[in-house]
Amino acid sequence: MSKYFANIYDTVNTLWTGMRITWGHMINIKRDNVTLQYPEERWPRPERNIGFEHEDYNVIRSRLHVDIDDCIGCLKCERACPVDCIKIDTIKAPNRGEDIPEVKHTGETSNGTKKAMVVSRFTIDMSECCYCNLCTYPCPEECIFMVGGPNSSKHPIDYEFSEFDRTDLIYQFAKKLSPEQKDGLQNPKPEAEA
Amino acid sequence: MTVDMLIDWFATIGDFPILSFLLAVIISGVPLFLIMALNAMVAVYVERKVSAFMMDRIGPMGQGPGLHAGKWGLLQTAADAVKLLVKEDTVPETSDKFLFKMAPYIIFIGAFLGLAAVPFSSVLQVADFNVGVFYIIAVGSIGVIGIVMAGWASNNKWSLYGAMRSAAQIISYEIPAGLSIIVPIMMAGTMNLQEMIHFQEGNVWGILPNWIIFNNPFTFIAFFIFFISAVAETNRTPFDIPEAESELVAGWMTEYSGFRWAVFFLSEYANMLVVSGLAVAGFLGGWQSPIPGMFDTGAWGLFWFMGKLILLIFVMMWFRWTFPRLRVDQLMHVCWKVFIPIAMFNIFGVGIWKLIFG
Repeated sequence: MSKYFANIYDTVNTLWTGMRITWGHMINIKRDNVTLQYPEERWPRPERNIGFEHEDYNVIRSRLHVDIDDCIGCLKCERACPVDCIKIDTIKAPNRGEDIPEVKHTGETSNGTKKAMVVSRFTIDMSECCYCNLCTYPCPEECIFMVGGPNSSKHPIDYEFSEFDRTDLIYQFAKKLSPEQKDGLQNPKPEAEA
Repeated sequence: MTVDMLIDWFATIGDFPILSFLLAVIISGVPLFLIMALNAMVAVYVERKVSAFMMDRIGPMGQGPGLHAGKWGLLQTAADAVKLLVKEDTVPETSDKFLFKMAPYIIFIGAFLGLAAVPFSSVLQVADFNVGVFYIIAVGSIGVIGIVMAGWASNNKWSLYGAMRSAAQIISYEIPAGLSIIVPIMMAGTMNLQEMIHFQEGNVWGILPNWIIFNNPFTFIAFFIFFISAVAETNRTPFDIPEAESELVAGWMTEYSGFRWAVFFLSEYANMLVVSGLAVAGFLGGWQSPIPGMFDTGAWGLFWFMGKLILLIFVMMWFRWTFPRLRVDQLMHVCWKVFIPIAMFNIFGVGIWKLIFG
């Protein structure tokens, strides 16, 4: 008989202990929360020590970025890419080295090179990229580079580039050209030639 | 606002008894259904949040004002409701189709009828019976028929196991629940819920409100037995062996989808409302203020009743996310060897207490 009541006491006692624990976790959710709402919140980036200073480290494997105003459309990076994730279309500019304001085309790069081509498409599919960095070496204008690291003055670091849709991983760098604008560049009007 | 009052009021306008009866039923039934739906929407959201917080998670955060903006997922249940309503309504090929389709409505009727006698305040009560307690206990049993129907008609061993377990559990736990609710009936000397609440006016032991739970030690124990039995009757964890996910997929709800499943869900949360309402009216002073003589006029009654109701529903959620599920033999042990003897002893004790002090 005393065991019967001892059991009941034990049950109530242990149940109350459990309820106290869950209550404590519930009211301290702000402190105990382990969920990180990823795209909105991010983990703090740890300070890395890779053996030398960041400035001295001349290769970083992060996201590719193109300063499209400096691109002359030479296709060297497209040919260098071992996985063919870079796709470039170009149209011959009517007059070499001249600005075309309608398509926001600048005639000269920041190095002073006169551009012969209008880049109508420059896409890099980062879901295919193998981060070999081979495309950055042949570039004569140094306009394609991995962001961050030694290039952080040109573009801040981006090592996550998470997207909600896989097609969003195809980065578009060229300025948007409408079909009419493309057509106008490919088949210049007679008075433009004159 | 009782049905009787409405019928009497219609009678002063003209003599059309059948039409006035129908009108009165519709006028009082529609708000009741709205309360039921609103309760389910809010309770599901709160349940998900409470469960998440107790597990150190944060629960639904996406759907709300400003998608993915971290606004607490306020519209999550609205999105879920829409999803459930547009989902495909599957009926298994080999099921007993008539019973399969009927079962959700039987369970719904059980929960809905119980809600009709819940005294939300001194005037807001759809049906003010002189056998209110008895009525709620009685219509609460209708749900079992629906559960057994659903389990049998699904033609599925999980469903049938779940239904059988549920029937055994609900029928067993009605005994301690019934024996415990006899205690307030003995104290107040009435089965009418309004009179029972009026009995709980004033003070007891100097400072405590004169609620039946505080009246004497036996009523104190009776409240806990009633409340735990009520949790068992609503098939909630730790007494959820009828739908034990790890063993029976979803028990008697396994084959249901879409709208029919939503009706089950609605009924489960309405059942929580009904049993909590009975516990509040019987033991916690109903719509009486916890500070006797203060804040007890008009709308405060509704406020106190809903406050106590929400507190009890929260405690049910607290149980659910704290305790592991009982085994079938443990469940029956708790019911027959612990609750029923103590409940009977309580009745005896309250009788003696009434003789000596009452």
